[in-house]
Amino acid sequence: MRPAGFIGSFRAAVVAGVLALLPVAGATAAEAEAPGDAARTKVAISTVDLDGPAISTVRVTVTNAGPDRMRALKVSFGGPAGWAVQPSVLQVDGSLARGASAEATFRIQVPERRAGFTVRTFTATTTYLGGDGAGSATATRTQHSGTPLASLAAAYNNVGITDESDTGPGNYDGEGNSFSAQKLAAVGLRPGEPVTALGAELRWPNVPSGTRNNVSAAGQAVALGGTGSRLVLLGSGVTSGASGTVTVYYTDGTTGSGSIGFPNWSFDPANAHGATLVASSDGRNRPSGYGNAGIAYRVFAHSVPLDPAKTVEFVVLPANGNIHLFDMALAP
Amino acid sequence: MPEIRSVSRRLLLGGALATTGALAAGGGASQAAAAPRAAVAPPRRPGQTSMIDVPYPAHRTVRVGVIGLGNRGSGMTTGWAAVPGCTVTAVCDIRADRAKRTADGLANAGKPRPAEYGGSADAYQRMLSRDDIDLVYIATPWEFHYPQGKAALLAGKHVIVELPIATELDELWDLVDTSERTRRHLMLAENCSYGRNELAMLKMAHEGLFGDITNGHGGYLHDLRALLFSDTYYTDSWRRLWHTRSTASFYAMHGLAPIAAAMDINRGDRMATLTATATAPKGLADYRARFVPRGHPSWNETYVNGDLVTCLIETAQGRIIRAEHDVSSPRPYSRINTLAGSRGIFEDYAGVVSAGGGRIYVEPDHSGHSWRDFGSYRKEFDHWLWKKIGDDAENNGGHGGMDYVLQWRTVQLMRAGLVPDIDVYDSAAWCAPVPLSVMSLAANGRPVQIPDFTRGAWVNLRMGLDSRTTEMPPVA
Repeated sequence: MRPAGFIGSFRAAVVAGVLALLPVAGATAAEAEAPGDAARTKVAISTVDLDGPAISTVRVTVTNAGPDRMRALKVSFGGPAGWAVQPSVLQVDGSLARGASAEATFRIQVPERRAGFTVRTFTATTTYLGGDGAGSATATRTQHSGTPLASLAAAYNNVGITDESDTGPGNYDGEGNSFSAQKLAAVGLRPGEPVTALGAELRWPNVPSGTRNNVSAAGQAVALGGTGSRLVLLGSGVTSGASGTVTVYYTDGTTGSGSIGFPNWSFDPANAHGATLVASSDGRNRPSGYGNAGIAYRVFAHSVPLDPAKTVEFVVLPANGNIHLFDMALAP
Repeated sequence: MPEIRSVSRRLLLGGALATTGALAAGGGASQAAAAPRAAVAPPRRPGQTSMIDVPYPAHRTVRVGVIGLGNRGSGMTTGWAAVPGCTVTAVCDIRADRAKRTADGLANAGKPRPAEYGGSADAYQRMLSRDDIDLVYIATPWEFHYPQGKAALLAGKHVIVELPIATELDELWDLVDTSERTRRHLMLAENCSYGRNELAMLKMAHEGLFGDITNGHGGYLHDLRALLFSDTYYTDSWRRLWHTRSTASFYAMHGLAPIAAAMDINRGDRMATLTATATAPKGLADYRARFVPRGHPSWNETYVNGDLVTCLIETAQGRIIRAEHDVSSPRPYSRINTLAGSRGIFEDYAGVVSAGGGRIYVEPDHSGHSWRDFGSYRKEFDHWLWKKIGDDAENNGGHGGMDYVLQWRTVQLMRAGLVPDIDVYDSAAWCAPVPLSVMSLAANGRPVQIPDFTRGAWVNLRMGLDSRTTEMPPVA
């Protein structure tokens, strides 16, 4: 079909045998859209067939909603890290009139479906001249499968608190060190007891010392129902790179996200990454026993904003194992 | 006129990617990669077309003819006969007694007795004239692989050849072209590509666990000294004699191919240039001096093949493969199997055996700069072939079951009429370092271009060893 709005005849160049950018009259339905008002360039990504291993085809539709002709349009597409895409970029020589759309087809290597909960994020980016004048537009599409873990406790994967009489099981920092249960209790952090931070009521892990009692974040999906103004996370960091993105999934199918980060449990400034100090304990447990007295080992809180009009269904933690979490809760 | 075209990485990076990368890999010398005559794709003949994504015709039963019945060939013959829907119809060896012994063995095991061929160097030609052979398996000394493989294709058979399929570039091209002209598949019997760890590594790469793959190491590090000097293991000492006449990386494919698969070589990337280095050839002479009696024929030999031949291969996507070959040094066995990317790394032959023998470190699962056991990952990413026939493989085949998985899968592909996991283009690419290492070493390690046996089709994503679960057709 010859598209309205293309200058001259559109020539769909076949690239690598199977690829073409085809002009279409309008964006296809049920596709993600880039944020922005009605006059902004719209980018939409089709549903990705995740029944792998397979080579799946993905369509990216670009609609020029701006006042000027769109020129020098390039479309790039990418999936999760390590997923091969062919080609990585397509470009259109010529121009696209106001209201006209073009569709780019990419192929992506999809792996075998992984057990458990998975989130797959796809991104399409366009660059162009003219159109709405913005020069670029991006769309992301997130598809997930599987069931989130029932609670953060179900995701516990690290022993970060030990008794001073038995420090051996601890390995909060990858070097065999851990918080002292006695010293945490001295500053009010006791198993099962409430911890108030950033307006939320959280709860300290209600498990025995020396057992798995916190989550080293690795992109786990954790169920968390309710509404609120923000999601508060209680935790601390190892190394100085304990930051990442928290994604909140609402029951209406939409998502929100925010960046969090925690200072190193010992040596970073207490407000690093924008965190808030909750408690400081004295010293830590080392493989050989309690030590480092006089040095503070700390717990922090951080939050991400929520849409208070929506109900949270589950949360996907950052994919950064340097972030350790003890609890999370919704603040009114 | 609006026109759509892809933007190549080469253009995005300013051009000459492969060449500049190769120079960096080669030590920064300001020299372009040398292009051997056969590195340039010869034009196809009229009517000749690619065999990529061409399925086998469906075979109700796969009838196998075997050429070469030494240690490898005779063992594999038993494996072929064990695969459901596969029959060994003929066996051949220049030594007729081997053909008889193999036929006796199959008959004694309750299998149909195959026809016997032997007694002359061209006995295989008579076997190939039979019309009841669908697949020819070749396990002769390396120097015979090319002529026998080509002859089998010309006889209308599909072919599976032990490593390497050929030792010269023009021979590799000829096998590619002969496969395309005869419309018959030829594949390398690269059993290690079906190894359990290797396939799990491949699936982990496709999952993205390692992020964007940047480099991989593989090889064949196997102390063969005792076997090389055995008077009975390699007939007429054929393998040791290669060490007297070639500097090549003879046999790195067992480690190279799984890394190439994980990088989707010929399926979105390709090996572009090769730089070779070699240590001095010390190992065999030292072994001979200590363990081989004076007067043994080997004392007349001079070894020229370096103990450790290393090929650095750069791909069109800027990845680096290090492929090693060492069969003449004292050392434990290893194929290395190391794969690394922007988010982590896997190393085989470095972890505890109970956890699969590998070790791993991938973000975000791991932090703290300490290795983790491979076991849980091997279990999660176990290939369907191992889940399905792993027990049979360990009972029926050598090399930990890899041989049987290779044979079972090959027969399944032929019976079900599917596209081969490994095709002639993969086979040629994986074997190209044999001649190219010689060329690079002769040029003091200068990079040499690796032919694109796909003639440009490497850019296309397509399926390979990371296949979808498929049933073996029932045996009537």
